[in-house]
Amino acid sequence: MKEILVRPERCVGCRSCEIACAVEHSQSRDLFKALSEMPQKRLYVEHVPEHSLAVPMLCRHCEDAPCVGVCPTGALTQDSLTGVVRHNRDLCIGCWTCASVCTYGVIGRDRRARAAIKCDRCPDREIPACVAACPTRALIYGEVEEVSGARRAASALKLAQGVAASSR
Amino acid sequence: MTSRTPTVCPYCAVGCGFYITPNGVEYMQDHPVNEGSLCPKGNVAPDVLNHVERLRYPMMRTGDGWIRVSWSEALDRVAEEMPRALREKGPKALAFLGSAKCTNEENYTFQKIARLMGTNSIDNSARRCHSPTIIALRRMLGTPAMTNPISDLALSDCIFVIGSNLAENHPVVARWILRAKDRGAAVIVADPRVTPTAWLADLHLQLNPGTDIALINGMINVILGEGLEDRSFIRERTRGFEELDVSDYTPERVSSITGLSAADIVRAARLYAKAGASSIVYCMGITQHSCGTENVTACANLALICGQVGRPGTGILPLRGQNNVQGACDMGALADFYPGWRSVDDSGAIDELRRLWNARSLPLGRGLTADMMPDADLRFLYVMGEDIVNSHPAVARRRERLKRGFVVVQDIFLTDTAKLADLVLPAAAWAEKEGTFTSTERRVQWVSRAREPPGDARPDLWILSEVAARLGFDLPHDPEEVLAEINQAVPAYGGICRMNAGRRGGIIWPCPHPDHPGTPVLHTERFSTPDGRARITPVHHPAPERTSPEHPMILITGRVVLHYNSGSMTMRSEGLVKREPELHVDVHPDDAVRFGVADGDTVMIETRWGRARARAKLTPGQKRGTLFMPFHFPETNLVASELLDEKSMMPELKVAACRIWRAD
Repeated sequence: MKEILVRPERCVGCRSCEIACAVEHSQSRDLFKALSEMPQKRLYVEHVPEHSLAVPMLCRHCEDAPCVGVCPTGALTQDSLTGVVRHNRDLCIGCWTCASVCTYGVIGRDRRARAAIKCDRCPDREIPACVAACPTRALIYGEVEEVSGARRAASALKLAQGVAASSR
Repeated sequence: MTSRTPTVCPYCAVGCGFYITPNGVEYMQDHPVNEGSLCPKGNVAPDVLNHVERLRYPMMRTGDGWIRVSWSEALDRVAEEMPRALREKGPKALAFLGSAKCTNEENYTFQKIARLMGTNSIDNSARRCHSPTIIALRRMLGTPAMTNPISDLALSDCIFVIGSNLAENHPVVARWILRAKDRGAAVIVADPRVTPTAWLADLHLQLNPGTDIALINGMINVILGEGLEDRSFIRERTRGFEELDVSDYTPERVSSITGLSAADIVRAARLYAKAGASSIVYCMGITQHSCGTENVTACANLALICGQVGRPGTGILPLRGQNNVQGACDMGALADFYPGWRSVDDSGAIDELRRLWNARSLPLGRGLTADMMPDADLRFLYVMGEDIVNSHPAVARRRERLKRGFVVVQDIFLTDTAKLADLVLPAAAWAEKEGTFTSTERRVQWVSRAREPPGDARPDLWILSEVAARLGFDLPHDPEEVLAEINQAVPAYGGICRMNAGRRGGIIWPCPHPDHPGTPVLHTERFSTPDGRARITPVHHPAPERTSPEHPMILITGRVVLHYNSGSMTMRSEGLVKREPELHVDVHPDDAVRFGVADGDTVMIETRWGRARARAKLTPGQKRGTLFMPFHFPETNLVASELLDEKSMMPELKVAACRIWRAD
């Protein structure tokens, strides 16, 4: 199952992902869109200046997602196959309970619609908008096993280079 | 028009490709520069098309208001006022401002009209971003342009970034630097601030503002002292090395000037000189100084003595700001150069153009640059796609003076400059017309028409050819025809046509003939100087702007990721404005305590040039003793320094002594 994974060490905090996300989730998604529309993002680039980093924060679609468990109306459901946590705006009453239990603080609020607003992993797209937009590939879309494997290989290479250098 | 039209981003000069679709933007995965992805501005680029505030009709001033006029009335008026000014006061009373956001064909035609009217008083916004690059690199390497393509950075073993916050201003460039880091490359970033670019650095040199020459000369001192220079490269491919005396710039002395540790200076020098392939990336932190030309010269000296030019992964990479800065300059929309980098003093070279243009004579000698225009006795000013009032520090203060003559502004929005005009002409935006743009890496790309312009707006080239016709000049109105003339006027564009520029990723100049594949890496065998050798040129650390008891802080200006230049486009993009709505000033927490300022306070900043109000933002990333303000807001230009680099006429925008206090 593919996931959106974050490599904070590559993030330059440009917020391209935020904009792409907002555009993807705007109602009109077109050039003639009403100026009154306020497209909202579903991920948040958090700057951590003390550590010279920025970290894109977005819904992890947790296994046994707490937001789904606490949703009183059943507006939040989790697909048993894909693990994607979906949100049904028609059932949402804007009670904010999901946001209060979200470990990552990535459930936002659409005040006008009185509804929660969260990452839906762009169901209409092959690659989520934020991943496609990221200029530095800080966001990647892939199987956790593949990504971890690649990361292990990269770390192993660094270790090996270190060992080789010190034995020279 | 199909539903999906390939285009090139209208914002910075990286030259990213994408598709415009009826629904907005679609990524172009196989584009050689951005491989699909875009920065925030690129993602909302279509916002400016069909924006409600777009200019739709020609408008004439009537007292305090405007009336809508027909195109023929408007064009007749231009063709009346221009010759009248010429008759009454001569060619010195005419001035033209071209646009680094308009196509090559439009800038070429615009400067041609200016020159046929007898004046070299034509400039474009490159004056404020890279005029020092033009002067220094042309003199030293022969070609005033980026030496290698951006993607070459992935092949570098050491990348030295100085005076550039590319992670915010050209985010796609960071992609290639990260790729180099994956291969084990070292990244050095010299910047007084801890920017997102500094986050990428293995070695961050947080130097004092305006001390770049001292740093680079210090590095050269170490390199020569340790014998790390490339002797054979110096011997075979350069001149002037024997005059390069940097013995005064010991790491210890440079440490006292720059505020860096001597060890870091030595480390930077060794990293750069010992790497197999090193590149230097710089931007306006180098050029926007009263010693801007010397700053660029110092960068080139460093590259030349280490032989780090002319191979993949090496080179000198100035990052240009606007999508067609390089092209507007190549086309000669400059007070000191004709098309093809012919100097305004070189009558022989200009003579070729005189014959091509079938002109009786062409003007010699430098015309007025943008900053000089308000002080000149102008009777006629023609501004094409440039908001000079919001982007030139001097002009912002002297805007009223621009109104002494007849002012025509041709733009897509009613900018603050357009508000001063007597006549406003509505132009088509980039995706509503055709022509070529030249990115910072010399990549010439053809842009197709994806949309109809709103109302009666027209492509700039159509407007210019109609004006020219009324003045009695028969100039082509078709971009392809103009490009065919550019083939003859600009040797590096000799073989560029709609076909090769229209391919995915276009073509990189020099492309001297139609079968030529383009030249991604310059100077591989010889430099483009007359004798083929580069010129090493000694430069020295200047007396910098100093703080005083009255002005105890140093103000630095720069950009933020969500806005673009004077803001005439991004300030109309809601997604961007919402995230960065107002002017702020970055203050180090220690300085904030010193001046009694808290996070979020409204503060006043005063330099000896002016005052501005801003919201204080406390950040430990700001160097103590310095403040930072983004220049996308008009107030910033009111406090920026008016000092000029005499060689390039670049204003000193990066360093000004200032004071700060709470305004409420």
